[in-house]
Amino acid sequence: MKPRKIRKLLVANRGEIALRVMRTARTMGIATVAVYSDADRAAAHVGAADEAFAIGASEPAQSYLNIAAIIAAARAAGAGAIHPGYGFLSERPEFARAAADNGLLFVGPPPEVMAALGDKVAARRIAVKAGAPVVPGVETGDLASARKFAERTGFPVLVKAAAGGGGRGMRVVAEAGALENALEAASREAQAAFGDGRVFLEKYLARPRHVEIQLLGDRHGEVVALGERDCSIQRRHQKIIEESPAPGFSSAARARMIEAALKLARAAGYQNAGTAEFLLDGEEFYFLEVNARLQVEHPVTELRFGCDLVAEQLRIAEGDRAREPDSPRGAALECRINAEDPEHDFRPATGRVISLTLPSGPGVRVDTHLGPGAEISPYYDSLAAKLVAYGSDREAARTRMLAALDEFALLGPRTNAAFLRDIIASDAFARADLSTHFLEEHLPRWRLDEHAMRAALIAAAMAAEGRIGAAPGGGTAGANGAKADARRSPWTALAGFETWGRR
Amino acid sequence: MRLKRAEGGKTFAVEILACDGKNLRASIDGEEISGEIEMTADGGAILRFDGQRIRINGVRGRKSIMVAAGPASFEFTAVEGRIGSAHHGLAAVEIAAPMPGKVLRVMVAEGDVVASGQGVIVLEAMKMETTIAAESDATIKKIRVNAGDAVEHGQVLIEFSPAPAGPSAGESQAQAS
Repeated sequence: MKPRKIRKLLVANRGEIALRVMRTARTMGIATVAVYSDADRAAAHVGAADEAFAIGASEPAQSYLNIAAIIAAARAAGAGAIHPGYGFLSERPEFARAAADNGLLFVGPPPEVMAALGDKVAARRIAVKAGAPVVPGVETGDLASARKFAERTGFPVLVKAAAGGGGRGMRVVAEAGALENALEAASREAQAAFGDGRVFLEKYLARPRHVEIQLLGDRHGEVVALGERDCSIQRRHQKIIEESPAPGFSSAARARMIEAALKLARAAGYQNAGTAEFLLDGEEFYFLEVNARLQVEHPVTELRFGCDLVAEQLRIAEGDRAREPDSPRGAALECRINAEDPEHDFRPATGRVISLTLPSGPGVRVDTHLGPGAEISPYYDSLAAKLVAYGSDREAARTRMLAALDEFALLGPRTNAAFLRDIIASDAFARADLSTHFLEEHLPRWRLDEHAMRAALIAAAMAAEGRIGAAPGGGTAGANGAKADARRSPWTALAGFETWGRR
Repeated sequence: MRLKRAEGGKTFAVEILACDGKNLRASIDGEEISGEIEMTADGGAILRFDGQRIRINGVRGRKSIMVAAGPASFEFTAVEGRIGSAHHGLAAVEIAAPMPGKVLRVMVAEGDVVASGQGVIVLEAMKMETTIAAESDATIKKIRVNAGDAVEHGQVLIEFSPAPAGPSAGESQAQAS
């Protein structure tokens, strides 16, 4: 294929990642096209793009997973390329193929590479062939062979979806009696999430860390690595805090992991941005899977390497070579702020954002699509904002993250921000005692900080009595405030909500 | 004043005893707190007590007050003086959807006797399965949804009558949501 400049880029995604991709496209002089569902008519990514096309109903299957509608939008807009973001269609080979069939550059690996790596069972085979260590496992979900494997390896075992990701279709099985149910549940969840119910089994490692290598490959066969990220802090197999470098990772082990990742990426003919995920157990590591797309946590790598991974993706898609990165500096941390209620088993929280205060300052980056008035809908995932902190070392990044979380305030749907703060503030996190079981080990029965609770009660009582929030910009509260507020009782007169002090 | 948390259902007795715009005295459930308050330009305030500093901000609505205290957020409603009243000792009467979503599975049938903590319905929202559990022992009186139904936040899913063994304690899912 001849090198081809991208002049107009369709971003087949929504939320913060659509904004993220469009920002880079703009700096490169590339026009942007948004697509949106009914629920996202007023979403931030629609306003951020040069053009926007409606592609269907709110249900993802009708819109962001609707290949025909997205391709039609790209053709109507005269776009030359499609960036899939993460999630949705980003790892669907048929989408990459449909793009190519319509003369559109797909910003990602070729469909056949994606197909091979997207199937976790096939990816395992590629890894084994390339000499990368894999977790002992069995490539089948049928009960008899699953039982045999589990008896041989010993419980617990892990049931995983062949087409899986993000913890969906994954079950830890502690004893033989639970195996059948787990296989069924995992298969059902995988069928619902990925349209593919195949599952497989792996030995369950007792206290592993999740460490992954950022890769960039080009169509000339070159693949480079941009260091690692430690994503061990997970809740129900969903990453919530990621960092780079991985603390305490020896340079020898890092070099071996990078070598394994490069070998298997080259063996697979990998192109564009991708991530090889590993479980790290002491100095030993095992290949997990390749994510054939940009990762949610890519900003951690960008801050350390001083690069723009989306720009690299677009350059590579145009036919450029993957470049060896500059030497990394310092340390970076990311917290995923999700719209969920940490006091009620992290159930999804939805609704309108009434006010949003975002942190800023040296070494602080926020990627979000939300602002006052934005709607967090039940149709899409719960990621509300990514807070990223950078510092000269891990402790500098950690203290910046603490300050950033203290500045963050979202009124409206509840978020896990207070939970994240308590993790970042914990001794165990400060001394980097990381494993994928961090939360069960160190915050097993997390409860909201009592001090915050009492501060909130005092604030609510003062607001109800009109003692604060009455005088805009005024420095005094108390009697004056109460008097000023007497005209309009907050309990009766106001339609909807209003922010204190903004009248 | 009595403030009830929307998310947790717990009620607190809160009194502002004195506030001159700088020094603050309050009591929460009879425990006295003294500290300082400093208003900020964005309409919020900085509270200092118990040796800690915390930033607060909030919004008032017709029915409730939302407050952010540091990264945590809360929603309260004022409860008219029903001290120690009927909230306790009532059997759960219904389960409402804690969020909009889709009913994946109904795990019980009408007439079933369920134990506190037993899963009754699985909802799917934001691509995650959430199991809704009975919060008290009860008998399933009526099931108002079917698998595959889309449900709104607060929509009643299941109605209960008290378990045959007798009245049970605890708050219903509906109150908690």
